[in-house]
This record gives sequence, structure tokens and C-alpha cells, in this order.
Amino acid sequence: MPKLTTGPTGIIKLLIYIGLLVASANAVAKEGLPKGIMVLKGQDAPPLVLKNLDGKIWDIEQSRGHWVFLHFWATWCGPCRREMPTIQAILQEFKNSRLEIVLVNTAESEDTVFEFIGAVAPDLNPLMDTDGQATELWQPRGLPATFFVDPDGKLQYLALGGRNWHEPAYLDFLNKIIKK
Amino acid sequence: MWPVIIKPVYAAAPPILHKYEDDEIFLQLVIRNDDQLAAFYVGREFPKNAINEILKTCFITPLVKNNKFDALWIEPDSWVFTLDNQPIERIKRDYWKKIWKDVGLSQAHQATFGWTLMPETRDLRFDEGAGGSIVIPEQTRPFTLRVHFNTGLYKEGKPKVITFKDVLCPN
Repeated sequence: MPKLTTGPTGIIKLLIYIGLLVASANAVAKEGLPKGIMVLKGQDAPPLVLKNLDGKIWDIEQSRGHWVFLHFWATWCGPCRREMPTIQAILQEFKNSRLEIVLVNTAESEDTVFEFIGAVAPDLNPLMDTDGQATELWQPRGLPATFFVDPDGKLQYLALGGRNWHEPAYLDFLNKIIKK
Repeated sequence: MWPVIIKPVYAAAPPILHKYEDDEIFLQLVIRNDDQLAAFYVGREFPKNAINEILKTCFITPLVKNNKFDALWIEPDSWVFTLDNQPIERIKRDYWKKIWKDVGLSQAHQATFGWTLMPETRDLRFDEGAGGSIVIPEQTRPFTLRVHFNTGLYKEGKPKVITFKDVLCPN
């Protein structure tokens, strides 16, 4: 932050600084999106067919007509661990909505995932990308990352890194997209 | 927003850090000693023979954050390591494929290992951060690292170049 002084010069500096802050905030919130949400080009989502911890198969093709919140994560990733309770927190809010919340664990054992998820987010049942190849195919830029797949199976947004999904800005974002 | 950072799970002696920061970029090199590096991969359930292979090399983990540009390009092929004005060849992903085949590392661990390396190319968007390791052969003397970033969505901006001198593999 610039050093502020009193008098006209100080006020001008302050206005310039506020202007820079506003410009910075606008750059972050392009298209009114909350921080860290990137717009994608609407390309077709790659295929994804995986089993969850109960062995039940999930196929992204069966999610047409819904938005899919597709979250890639691993227990060894610190931001993933911090973010997981916030996904658990929004699960009930979007139950029976047009948003399907789906987790993909990247290349870890069932024991490792069960132990973590059972303690932190017991209502979530992640898909198990046991050999990491599905994650390779989706190329999520890093972990954690969350893709938003629209009801036509197109990639519309990517949330970079971790965040508190229960914050108003992100809840607003989720509520807005499912109305599209 | 919480950045994408590969975070160690141990807390012994702090790793060696080299840091650069201005209003355009944050760049920090984290260099772990053998114990720290082994702990990082033990925490990811890697077998001992795989960790032994990792410890034969020198891991440097840059953490990068784009503070200004529409896009800041991470492209480790354009980063130059030198010692006595001679280039040090970076150890690339193909090397590890052969090593992992020889030691029989599972596909899952290979995938995890890949996620701990710096991407070969990544357009970091404004305010985005990323981290991951870059590997060179073990060095016994200090070397120089010249980090080169292209900038702009189409690499049309002025490149950003940062040089770290006297970088040392810790063991």
C-alpha cells in the first residue's frame, strides 16, 4: 500500500489507490464470477466412468439434464483437505436440485480415502480414480480443481484451487448456474 | 481462494528457500533435504525403492503466483540451470517413466508422482498460483537458475526473467 499523506496530494494518491483496487477486483470478478472461477470454452466433457467407494458405477453420460460439480482431489493435498468440509456443507443445500456434486479421488487407496472422508465429509461418496488415468484425461490444472459441466455435457467453468464453497459469493454462483 | 500448492506433511528443519516477489509475480524455490523429501513421498505412501530413486536426484520446488498478467506461462523447458557457465540438463518425465517401470511402481503412484512435478506448460491466470518440483542431477556445488516466463494470453507480453544465484542441492 502506498504511504498516505494529508493534503491534496495525499487525497489524490488515496483515490488512485482506491481506483487500482477497484480495477483489480474487476479483473478478478470477470463476468461477475467469484474469485478463482475460470470460464471455459464449452467444449465436450471427456468421458468419465468410475466406481464409488461402494463399488457403484457412475457415468457422466447419465448426468445429462443436470449441472455437474466435478471435483478432483487427493488426501495428500492440503488445500483439498481444507476444502472438503465446505463441500460437505453445501451437499444438503443442493440435494434434489439441478446440481449434482461428484468427487473424484486421484490415485489413492480405498482405505486412505475412507479414513479421511469418513471423518471429514461422511455424506460424500467419492468416485475412485484408482490408477489416476481419468484425472490425466481431464487435466484439471492442479489439485484441487472443480469442473462445472452443463446439462448438455459441455465444460463451462473451472474452479482453480480450493475455497469455502459455503461463502455467499460461491453459493450465489452455484444458484445462478443451475437456473441457466 | 486457497492456492493449489503441494504441501509437505512434515515439520522438521525448515527447507531452504529462495524468494522473489514484486507486484507482478511471487516466486519461491523450496529445496528439501533428503529427510524432508523422503517424508514428502512417504506421506503419499510411496514404497522405499521408489523413494531411493528420488533421493538420487535434486528436487527444486518452485511456487509461483501470477500477481498481474492475464497469463503467466510456466514452461520449465525455458528455465536454464548453469554451473560454471555450463548448462545442467533437467531430468524430464520420460526419465521417470523408465525408472518407475524398472522398480515396478504402481500406476497410481506414478500418477501421484506426476502431480507433484511442475507442469511442462501452464498458463497461470491472474491471481492463480501453482507449485511442483523440477528435477536436476545431484549437484555438489552452487549453481544458477534463470527462470523465464512468457506473459500474456498469447505470449505477446514482455517476458519476465528472474535469476537465482548460489542455489544448492542440500545434501
